[in-house]
Amino acid sequence: MADITRRTVLASATFVPLAALTAAAQAPQTVLTPAQIKTLEAMVDRIIPKDELGPGAVESGAAVYIDRTLATVNAAEKPSFLEGLAGVEALAQSTHNTTFSDLSPDLRDELLITMDNGTAASFPAARAFFARVRRLTFEGMFGDPYYGGNRNFAGWDLIRYPGPRLAVSPDEQKMSTPPKPYRRSAYGSGTSNGH
Amino acid sequence: MATNLKPVDVAVIGLGAAGGVAVLPLAQAGLKVAGIEAGTWIDPHSYKPDEIYNNVRAGVTSVPKAKREIPTFRTSDNAKSRQGASHPMMNAIGGTSIHYHAQSWRYSPWDFKARSESIRRYGPNSIPKGSTLEDWPVTYDDLEHYYELCEYEIGVSGRAGNLNGVLTGRGNAFEGPRKREFPMPPLRDTDFTDTMADAARELGWKPFRGPAAINSQTYKNRPGCVYHGYCDRNGCHISAKNSTAVTTIPAALKTKHLTIFDKAQVTRILTDNHGKVTGVLYLRDNREYFQPAKVVLLASYTYENTRLLLLSKSMAYPKGLSNNHGQVGRHYFGHWDAQAGTGVSALFPRDLNIWYGAIAQNVTIDEWADDNFDHTGLGFIGGASIQVNTEKHPIAAAAMNTYGRAPQWGSKWKAFVHDNAGRWVSSYIQCNTFPYENTWLDLDPDVKDPLGDRVCRVTSGPKENEQRQALYTGEKMSDWFRSAGAIEVTRPNGGNGPALTTHAFGGTRMGANPETNVVNSYGFSHEASNLGILGASTFGTAGARNPTLTAQALAWRTADHLIKNWKSF
Repeated sequence: MADITRRTVLASATFVPLAALTAAAQAPQTVLTPAQIKTLEAMVDRIIPKDELGPGAVESGAAVYIDRTLATVNAAEKPSFLEGLAGVEALAQSTHNTTFSDLSPDLRDELLITMDNGTAASFPAARAFFARVRRLTFEGMFGDPYYGGNRNFAGWDLIRYPGPRLAVSPDEQKMSTPPKPYRRSAYGSGTSNGH
Repeated sequence: MATNLKPVDVAVIGLGAAGGVAVLPLAQAGLKVAGIEAGTWIDPHSYKPDEIYNNVRAGVTSVPKAKREIPTFRTSDNAKSRQGASHPMMNAIGGTSIHYHAQSWRYSPWDFKARSESIRRYGPNSIPKGSTLEDWPVTYDDLEHYYELCEYEIGVSGRAGNLNGVLTGRGNAFEGPRKREFPMPPLRDTDFTDTMADAARELGWKPFRGPAAINSQTYKNRPGCVYHGYCDRNGCHISAKNSTAVTTIPAALKTKHLTIFDKAQVTRILTDNHGKVTGVLYLRDNREYFQPAKVVLLASYTYENTRLLLLSKSMAYPKGLSNNHGQVGRHYFGHWDAQAGTGVSALFPRDLNIWYGAIAQNVTIDEWADDNFDHTGLGFIGGASIQVNTEKHPIAAAAMNTYGRAPQWGSKWKAFVHDNAGRWVSSYIQCNTFPYENTWLDLDPDVKDPLGDRVCRVTSGPKENEQRQALYTGEKMSDWFRSAGAIEVTRPNGGNGPALTTHAFGGTRMGANPETNVVNSYGFSHEASNLGILGASTFGTAGARNPTLTAQALAWRTADHLIKNWKSF
């Protein structure tokens, strides 16, 4: 830029579609190995299980969401996250002599409860790691499907969130008649898992 | 070597909420104005209803320069400081007014003389221990005209509670007298805000809709709000939120007297040997430029106003620009509010349908703010406005407090959030906050930005007066929720004080006494007479409400003073 002197705003007005750029840069890169995904899915499956109320976190792609964030926006926490997953496996080995994902749902719940309340043996980071996985699971379950989770809008349906509309009428803010679900990503796609 | 640019009359550093307002009267008066802004224009089409982008990742607000300069924080001068996760500053044309909630309040007349009024009514011992509270050098009456100018130019919706001293029976009965009704009616009501307003009336209170710099109808060729519920930390996709990027800045450009230098990072304000400022040094694309100016108006964010002054050392100002009295960085305070953990939330036995709307679509109570109630025997002065809002996002909704009724995960939790994610609501409790000896800004000795300049360090200690306000008003909020039929209400929490905040005040306080203040009643430095400072960094108190409109009214007043006295600058 050799010619920068005084420029009018119109000449220098550069419209930066920030959301679009950032989102487009998010190619679906991933970082977790199949074994690590298995451990992660066995965890998020208990945080939001599939049951009579509908799909759980695994079916909704929350683990996919988490994997993608570790490759992109959350790359800085990848080492501690992988340590956390290894810690879960070490806990399963030391308590039940098997892999975490091979445990029954009840046994997995037992271990996750010890992690959640900070009593998991020889796993000092357990509490923080569990809290982080829970938080990321919520993001994957209830965030825009654009990011790989909330498949088929299962998360929004679960909590009866009626979906992002670009304009909302007075009737759609009434308490007596909740608005009809509007199952659409902010990025326009009616389908999930596009990116 | 810096490239010298052609001199201008006024260089404004930062085209945000305050600088973006000041440029309009200056340019309209025919002064040659350079608007130097670290960010650039943002295309409104990029604003999406996307909680992950806006809220989880701070995609709109977390811009590159701000990310490089995040202040550090500690609770006392013995504690080690830690760098924050994000900077409340925004670099863009429009600045934080792009993503703010646009609650556009006038401060109460009491705010400007909280010290003398408290002493008059409750005695000298009522002033909180360790506070450095002074009366402002301006009164509500001094600002009334500028409030009105901003309300009409920017576009503020609302309903007057006090017109020329006569209570209207609508609007806020506790506000200072207005000469003129708002230019637009308030944002629309909802079933939820109506329910809360009815509940407040049952308690004998006078609920009202808060004022908002959001169009409730078409105003100046921009449309009314469409209430889509993604106003928080996001710009408006239809420009119904009245940031300076869509109001005063374009109007100033039309005069042809404003030139915007975007993506320009100001590194120093330079001075001559007589102590007058001579202009602004900035970086653009790694090249250095010097913009000479007869007058410099510093209008970056509160933390950066102090930082840039402290970094701008010279022969005339060896401790930093305008700091020969050691007052730069002093009398800093963050707004004691719901961000400090003082919010009270409630669970209702029915769907509230507050997913959509806007934070500014609210119902507010002022009975417990300012000095609107008798504080005798309470052990504190001031109080808080209390408010409930619409706009709830799905991740935040699901991450709800389960009120002891369900675990935090698993099938039982899933059933609980299925029923209740749409049935809880939080509140917004904004406390009158005062400056204290134990709270200030300086430069962190250990943390630098990539240019090698030290970042701002916040030291913020505990405040008993504000904790008591928060607990007292939190109980009122609980009463309000229960009156509206809530089945669970969280206990009020006095809070531990704000860390880095979007409501940051002081550091360059305004006051008549140069020994304890950086700028005079018009916002000009007591030491460098051709340096003006804009924004909440000049405030002497935080009102019990959002500060932006007051910063804008003061900015307009500073510009007006400059125009009327141009020859003496």
